[in-house]
Amino acid sequence: MLSTLELSPQTLDAEAPVRIAVKNLDFYYGEHKALKNINLDFRDRHVTALIGPSGCGKSTLLRIFNRIYSLYPEQKATGEILLDGRNIISNNVDVNELRSRIGMVFQKPTPFPMSIYDNVAFGIRLYEKPPKSELDDRVEGALRRAALWDEVKDKLKSSGMGLSGGQQQRLCIARTIAQKPEVILFDEPTSALDPISTGKIEDLLEQLKSDFTIVIVTHNMQQAARISQYTAFMYLGEVIEFDATNTIFMNPHKKQTQDYVTGRFG
Amino acid sequence: MTMATPAKTMTAPHVEWGRVRSSRRTADRMMKIIATSFTLIAIVVLFWILGMLIVKGLGGLSASTFTQITPGPGTEGGGLANAIVGSIVLTFLGIAVATPIGVLAGTYLAEYGKASKLADLIRFINDILLSAPSILIGLFVYVILVEPFRGYSGWAGGVALGIIAIPVIVRTTEDMLRLVPGSLREAGAALGAPPSVVITSVTWRAAKSGMVTGVLLALARIAGETAPLIFTALNNNFWFSPNLIGGVSNLPVTIYQFASAPYENWQQLAWAGSLIITVSILVLSIIARRIVRGGK
Repeated sequence: MLSTLELSPQTLDAEAPVRIAVKNLDFYYGEHKALKNINLDFRDRHVTALIGPSGCGKSTLLRIFNRIYSLYPEQKATGEILLDGRNIISNNVDVNELRSRIGMVFQKPTPFPMSIYDNVAFGIRLYEKPPKSELDDRVEGALRRAALWDEVKDKLKSSGMGLSGGQQQRLCIARTIAQKPEVILFDEPTSALDPISTGKIEDLLEQLKSDFTIVIVTHNMQQAARISQYTAFMYLGEVIEFDATNTIFMNPHKKQTQDYVTGRFG
Repeated sequence: MTMATPAKTMTAPHVEWGRVRSSRRTADRMMKIIATSFTLIAIVVLFWILGMLIVKGLGGLSASTFTQITPGPGTEGGGLANAIVGSIVLTFLGIAVATPIGVLAGTYLAEYGKASKLADLIRFINDILLSAPSILIGLFVYVILVEPFRGYSGWAGGVALGIIAIPVIVRTTEDMLRLVPGSLREAGAALGAPPSVVITSVTWRAAKSGMVTGVLLALARIAGETAPLIFTALNNNFWFSPNLIGGVSNLPVTIYQFASAPYENWQQLAWAGSLIITVSILVLSIIARRIVRGGK
């Protein structure tokens, strides 16, 4: 049964420094406690996958890293998330600056109602005022890295809304990496896409991990197995097991993990 | 032990599938006939009005309608040139007053106030304002802008029309902004854009066509308003002064005065003016609908 999962040879550097350290994290939607005592380490320039059944809190956890939950006053996190030693959930963090350093790609593609060029330049223009030629280079570079350049280089001035779903998602990835973040969060980035677009995005993730620390939430266990080096299995707001992806899928220590990755529940 | 009830009492009396009892069919037909005939009555009345307007209006319409100014009592001929230009000026003045206030208030409700008590209170007051009698607004502006300055003015007229347009624009702006998916706002915020940037360069852009339509509909709404102008811009049979101090001639009040006057040329001009206003509103509405469809 496990052999149906194609595990890519994972180059896993156990010496890589910890980029994000989650310590004793609790999260509340109003009165409801959605995450309970989360402790996790995310290693620099590795892909860490968060898996688990619907409602287990994996997207909730992801949305804490860039403080996007702060848009909603009734949501609250307690504990610590250390990014380079600084607690990002404390009140005196500049959330906008933090979000420019921690990019996020959403489940549904979210191109802005503006040209392809302006979409990619949007994040750059927020915090930098590069000269036109440099801006052009950054936009082109981001679109190339997102494997979209060849498809859009002749229509940079046309609306980003006119692209196909898969192209829109790559546009959103280009927009995120153009800002040169340190960490990129992916919230089920391929669940709204067809298999071919999904394949392209997965290839992209493979490329991006050499430069970025990546956290990805996915429903798709094959995807987690293919692209991540570390996997955390979550259930009912808790981390059940966290280990190297190969261990989680081939040789998990907990029975619940075993049952989930083999498809016995979920 | 209700569970033990024999199964056969649970089954409905046998009716052949697809058959409807004749009494129901009759009731259904009756309903359809009544609804259709009342719709026809409404449409007939509407076309009656339009037909009369076109016949009588075209009869009063000529080149001089657009070139000559409104005639004094007992004088022959004349046109509506000063009233048409005055109406355009007043209407745009009203929209110029209402658009920034309406758009920003609608933005507050959709983006900041949301479900707060203050936002609910503003929505409630806005709904009252939306259905307030327009003569009341005319009187209000008379008290605050005409009486203190001891004179009628186009400015007072524009403000009165603006107050009527504001609730329309507030409502459509809020509705259109609420149609913008939250994921788009999150995507903007996720790039580190502060709320003001997300609103001005993402949300407004996404809702642009709907918001423009709201402004156009408000324009159509105030173009034919009469009551708020009677106490503010008044009306007269001359070209108004460029600083808009003193009475400003306009179509709705001209129609109101000319239609009830004993002079035949006045009555004809009233019909022509009615036709001009109706056609303008029709054109504005069609443009607004086009924009909505183009935006989707």
